[in-house]
Amino acid sequence: MGQQRPVFQRRVGDPMTMKLVRLATVAVFTLLASSQALAQTGTVRGRVTDADAARGIADVQVMVNGTRIGGVTGADGAYTLTAVPIGVRTVTARRLGYQPATQQVTVPAGGTVTVDIAMQVSALNLSEVVVTGSGTPTEKRKIGTSVASVDSTIISRAQALTVDQALQGKTAGAQITQNSGGPGGGGVSVRLRGVNSFISGSDPLYIVDGVIVDNGSAQLADLGGRSNPQNRLADLNPADVERIEIIRGAAAAALYGSRANNGVVQIFTKRGNIGRPRFTLTTRAGLAELREQQPFNFYPFDAAGLPVSRFNYQNDIFHRASQTEHNLTIEGGNDQTRYYLSGNFADEDGIMRSTSSRRAGGRVNLQQQLTPRLIGSITANYINTNNQMQAFGEQNDYGIMGSLFFAPTQVDFRPVNGIYPLPPALGTNPLLAIARIRNPQLIDRFIGSTKLTWTPLTSLLFDYTIGIDNTGFEQRQFVPRNAVLGTAPLSTGRSQSIFQATRVINQDGVASYTWQPLGAFELKTTGGLNYTSQHVRTTNAGATGLAPVGELVSAGSVPFAGQTEVELRTLGFYAQQEASWNDKLFLTGGVRFDASSTFAPSERWQAFPKFSISYVAIDNEAGSLNNLRFRGALGWAGSQPGIVNAYSQFITFVNVAFAGRPGFINDITFGNPNLRNERAREWELGGEAGFWDGRIAAEVTYYDRMVDDLLFFRPLATSTGFSRQFSPIGSMSNKGVELLLRTTTYDTKDLSWSTTATYTQNRNRVESLQIQDFQSAGGYPNRIRAGLPAGVFYGSYAARHCVTGALLVDSLGRYRRSNQTVDMGATLAARQAISGGTCNDSLNKVIGDPNPSFMASLLNEVTIANKLRVRLLLDGVFGNDIMNLSTRAQNAGIASNSKEYERELLPYGDPRKLPPGFNARTQGIFEYWIEDGTFVKLRELSASYTLDWEPIRRRIPGGVDLTLSGRNLWVWTDYSGYDPEINLFGTNAGGVGSVQTTAADRGFDFGGYPIPRVWSISARISY
Amino acid sequence: MRIVRHSAVVAAAVALSACSLDLQNPNAPTEEQVTTSVDGVIALATGLQSRFATSYFSFAYMAGLVTDEFASTTAALISISDAEQGAVPSGTAIAENVFNSIYRTVRTADDLLTGSNALGDQLDPGTRSGLRALAFALKAEALGEALQSYQKIPINTFGETAPTYVTRAEALTYVRALLDSAAATIAATPPSTLFNTSILTPGVSLPNVIHLFRARYARIARDDATALAAANLVARSGPTALSLLTFPAPTVNPYAAVTGGTNGIAPRRQWRLSMLPQDQRFTYFVVPSTTATGRVGALLDPWNRYANPQSPLPVYFPDEALLIKAEALANQNQLAAAQAALDSVRTDCTGGRGIDDPKACLPPLGAQLTQAQLLTEIYTQRRYELLGTGLRWEDARRRNAIRGPAAAPAVPVEGQRCWLPYAIGDRNANPNATFSALPDPAEPSTFPSGCVV
Repeated sequence: MGQQRPVFQRRVGDPMTMKLVRLATVAVFTLLASSQALAQTGTVRGRVTDADAARGIADVQVMVNGTRIGGVTGADGAYTLTAVPIGVRTVTARRLGYQPATQQVTVPAGGTVTVDIAMQVSALNLSEVVVTGSGTPTEKRKIGTSVASVDSTIISRAQALTVDQALQGKTAGAQITQNSGGPGGGGVSVRLRGVNSFISGSDPLYIVDGVIVDNGSAQLADLGGRSNPQNRLADLNPADVERIEIIRGAAAAALYGSRANNGVVQIFTKRGNIGRPRFTLTTRAGLAELREQQPFNFYPFDAAGLPVSRFNYQNDIFHRASQTEHNLTIEGGNDQTRYYLSGNFADEDGIMRSTSSRRAGGRVNLQQQLTPRLIGSITANYINTNNQMQAFGEQNDYGIMGSLFFAPTQVDFRPVNGIYPLPPALGTNPLLAIARIRNPQLIDRFIGSTKLTWTPLTSLLFDYTIGIDNTGFEQRQFVPRNAVLGTAPLSTGRSQSIFQATRVINQDGVASYTWQPLGAFELKTTGGLNYTSQHVRTTNAGATGLAPVGELVSAGSVPFAGQTEVELRTLGFYAQQEASWNDKLFLTGGVRFDASSTFAPSERWQAFPKFSISYVAIDNEAGSLNNLRFRGALGWAGSQPGIVNAYSQFITFVNVAFAGRPGFINDITFGNPNLRNERAREWELGGEAGFWDGRIAAEVTYYDRMVDDLLFFRPLATSTGFSRQFSPIGSMSNKGVELLLRTTTYDTKDLSWSTTATYTQNRNRVESLQIQDFQSAGGYPNRIRAGLPAGVFYGSYAARHCVTGALLVDSLGRYRRSNQTVDMGATLAARQAISGGTCNDSLNKVIGDPNPSFMASLLNEVTIANKLRVRLLLDGVFGNDIMNLSTRAQNAGIASNSKEYERELLPYGDPRKLPPGFNARTQGIFEYWIEDGTFVKLRELSASYTLDWEPIRRRIPGGVDLTLSGRNLWVWTDYSGYDPEINLFGTNAGGVGSVQTTAADRGFDFGGYPIPRVWSISARISY
Repeated sequence: MRIVRHSAVVAAAVALSACSLDLQNPNAPTEEQVTTSVDGVIALATGLQSRFATSYFSFAYMAGLVTDEFASTTAALISISDAEQGAVPSGTAIAENVFNSIYRTVRTADDLLTGSNALGDQLDPGTRSGLRALAFALKAEALGEALQSYQKIPINTFGETAPTYVTRAEALTYVRALLDSAAATIAATPPSTLFNTSILTPGVSLPNVIHLFRARYARIARDDATALAAANLVARSGPTALSLLTFPAPTVNPYAAVTGGTNGIAPRRQWRLSMLPQDQRFTYFVVPSTTATGRVGALLDPWNRYANPQSPLPVYFPDEALLIKAEALANQNQLAAAQAALDSVRTDCTGGRGIDDPKACLPPLGAQLTQAQLLTEIYTQRRYELLGTGLRWEDARRRNAIRGPAAAPAVPVEGQRCWLPYAIGDRNANPNATFSALPDPAEPSTFPSGCVV
């Protein structure tokens, strides 16, 4: 220890291509070498309590100011800090929901001093320290943008299986949608401040403990061209999460450069508390069920009036499904070492029979004080996920929901002599699919990181993190012989095994120096570098012509295979200067330079500057207005071409075999030799205020983002031999308001009641388009058109009278489609005469908008006598349209299984009777299938009881909590389908294996997996 | 501590110095890799021959639908049954495909020309000559197919972003000049053995293909002298008389790929029924049927020759040369010689010239026909001899035999329309091809009619 000799004397490695890298490396390690002499230290310990309720507070961060020394309190509020430099020090305690508290203490050399701290509840906490977007830990008050942070209690109390589900309804400015109800998380998409890109799914950048992680939702086999099986964030165990920070856009995320246009979500896992080993066992058992069956056509006569038997196959497809989850954590530590170990096992059956998800994982987080000024930490997380999926969404060959919606209810699907009858027109027999079709997913994943933090001076900090996210993903698919209507090869059976290895390596270095040139001024200079490599290798093997026994590829007689490999590299540097005056006014300026392998060499280095200002007008004053802060920021960020477009700068050729020889022909997608990122400019203004002794906190932000150089496929003149080029096509804006209101209405020993409300309003607009407007979801009516929100529904509509607005129905009372010869008359003049004007002259128009007018959530938590906690979260999306293609499929003649089709069969004279052909007519009028998708969900409802009983307390000092909870218990909506939240195009938009879809494609219900209602009971035992 | 620092330094330095940002695409070869290497350029030549098969078929498929040759099978798309009734609205995928496919072939030919030039001395003269002649010939044929489908076509497209459309006369001149270049290239430097054995598709004779194409487009340009001279150069017997494209598995003869499914087509039964009773050529092309019907009720005969996915596809039928010769002679009023050439086609029968081509086995014509009678007879023989080559459409055009759309169940006679609508794929991105800059040509309103060129 205390090594003095400079170590950086030898030149390492080959001649390096990047002088900047070398210089940075040399600088870092030269400084590292000039280390300080060993300082004398002592220990600080104590207990943090609630000033009003006089109870210990757990999970409080206690830090020694001006150092990196800190710890977290245990369940009883106790903490221990070791190796604190001697002398007069200030200790600060911070926790969400409390005002930070400080105490001065004199630390004796080699001795121990006790400091108890009382904290005051406060809904607003500007002293909370965040990392994301600032390079180094920074108090919120100094940051000119809005940063959302969510702590572990909020995550764990959600009783959700995945982290992103747990975030639903917790923060403003985020549209978090569970696109499917499938097991294992169901495919959640997160849109921060609207849709900002048509590539890469518009997903934010996810970082776990400093490691950029893969949140792909690749469809390696066809599980419904556009459906949402699972996104890889589902691998993360929510119980491991300590804190999540969310920055929503370019102004806040400029330091992440060319990948931050969609915002950044950074997840920190638990570090472990100092003290004796603490064991926590959590066990949950749950029951999931279909919330509500859909009405089907159960009319006992067919179209010819003959009696028929009809079947409700929902009874066979859905069932009550069980879930169990067990989680064991062990944490503890001493002066030098802190550790957190966890093991997790979750087993979830889907409400659709034959679907399930099992996740087993373990985590080791270790932190070691290497020298008084050098801390090393390691995180290692291994996950094994094993899913059994079925195709849903748009998969009409072997998808269960597709078969349910397209099969007439009089078809008897029960097997005869072991043979399952196939449906008359389309798809498979759902009972056969449940019994025999298999789509297993086997995922092995390791996420690990090593971090060194070195503070040679209290004002100087170096951080270096290297991390890896390595995922092996095997998707298998087995469709037996004679399981699919139609011809060979699929009807002869198919077995596939697709293996994808994804490896993300991330290196992150940051240095910051804080200095005070003049009394009231404080300056902080930060510099950093980042290197990421993402490498995706995919091989597939498959065969058709299967033997009657055997599910593997080897059972097939006609083999096929393929292989692809993609690598993406990004190198970035940034510098940031912060200046503060009197701890009231804070100015920040910074710039990130980014280079990506996806950018053409001529465009390789891109700069992303940012500026922000924060002014704390009122700081923790007593009275009715306790806090007031104003902030503003301006910044730039980008989106890179993703994995599917990683090589779009190259003009490439396609391999075609001809006459037994290899041949090359030009790819119809022309390379773009000037390719670079999309570029977003965003400014935001906002502020926070705390009222009435900290009981109420309000936060408001207005933002305005403009994304230029939106990347997509620009059509090329096909006479050139090419048809498209991946290039800038236009610009798009998102403007909106985010409101957060947090109240602590009561806070006494016997009763506390707190409320959090969020409100989010976003207005999206495609500002300009250099190409013709286009269907973003190839073949579906979502449209990108200048002047309109992205993804509006554009399609056929029912003719209305131009003056009265009344529907123009024909003599039988059926809808007429606008400007159709058969429906409206042969000549335009005749059509205009019927219309009373020109309003029906176009074949298509904008018929709906899937973008919500606003979103809101309301969380109430009541704690009674410190023992019983009741929690209720309402989460709503308002004013969005949904295109219900599920019911359209049901109404099609070949399906004829909807309640509306049933009305066509009714005898004449029945008031509900629909004219014959009514439903055939509406098939071609897409406006008819637009419904209001507004909903409010009872997202979470739970009651927890702490067993505070002497014999238990004696044996289990950490306590026992019992919780009864429910998720998605109730939905208030006018939407007629299974669930207004599910969406055909969700997580995988623009991703690997997706058909051409974009993040703008929302609001499509087509054979999705309904989101279940889940009841569960759990116990938490701490020892 | 020292170990920690040392290893950190080494790890950081090694990792960061490894991060070159110039990555190659391992999934597909780039332009540089293909057009600057001998292997790449040779593979381009194979690719071009594959493109020829594809675009030739796209053209012949569409031409067959809008004439009296083909109709859709039951599972076909509605746009295909519309086209068989002469209705081809702007944006119809199968019509778009004709244009897009042809110009992708043109691009591949241009890539091959550029690549073979850029290689310079890396190629021996005979191989370069063969490559260039192949590129000239197949580019010419592709553009020739375009001018038989569209009223105006772009001819200069390489390196352009907004190609301009030229008249048929100008395009035809350009096509013929390309073919003359092809002929001159191999005349000056005969293709090398490497080219003939390892680059050119086995079973194809490049000189014969070039001469046949020269005769074909000289005929369209009504240059009888050149047509006659070129047709006489096409071998009519021996191993080079038949140039066949082969389709070893997993490749598939394009006609075999559309015997069913959403793109399914088959010859109309009327083609067989309208023959003289003794005419045996139907046995080459179709299997007589009494039951096969199409999507909108057309009576069909399934393919015989192309039913097998691996059956070869002739680049041209050798008797096309005789028929061009007969027509050129008739136009020049050399009626006896014309009739002799025609009889040679009519009397071709088993054994004949030893080539596996359609065989009429008809008796000779007998008494000398007049010029008009001869031209009519040539037109008739071309119908039965050249089924599925797309040439029927241009024949109907030059005979002023465009008879308008024939809605099912009516059976179309000769040609139903003059031109295809211009491709939306070009209109969307080419300022010279917008609806205002390049309106779709008006179809004739009275029938029978010729076509405005």
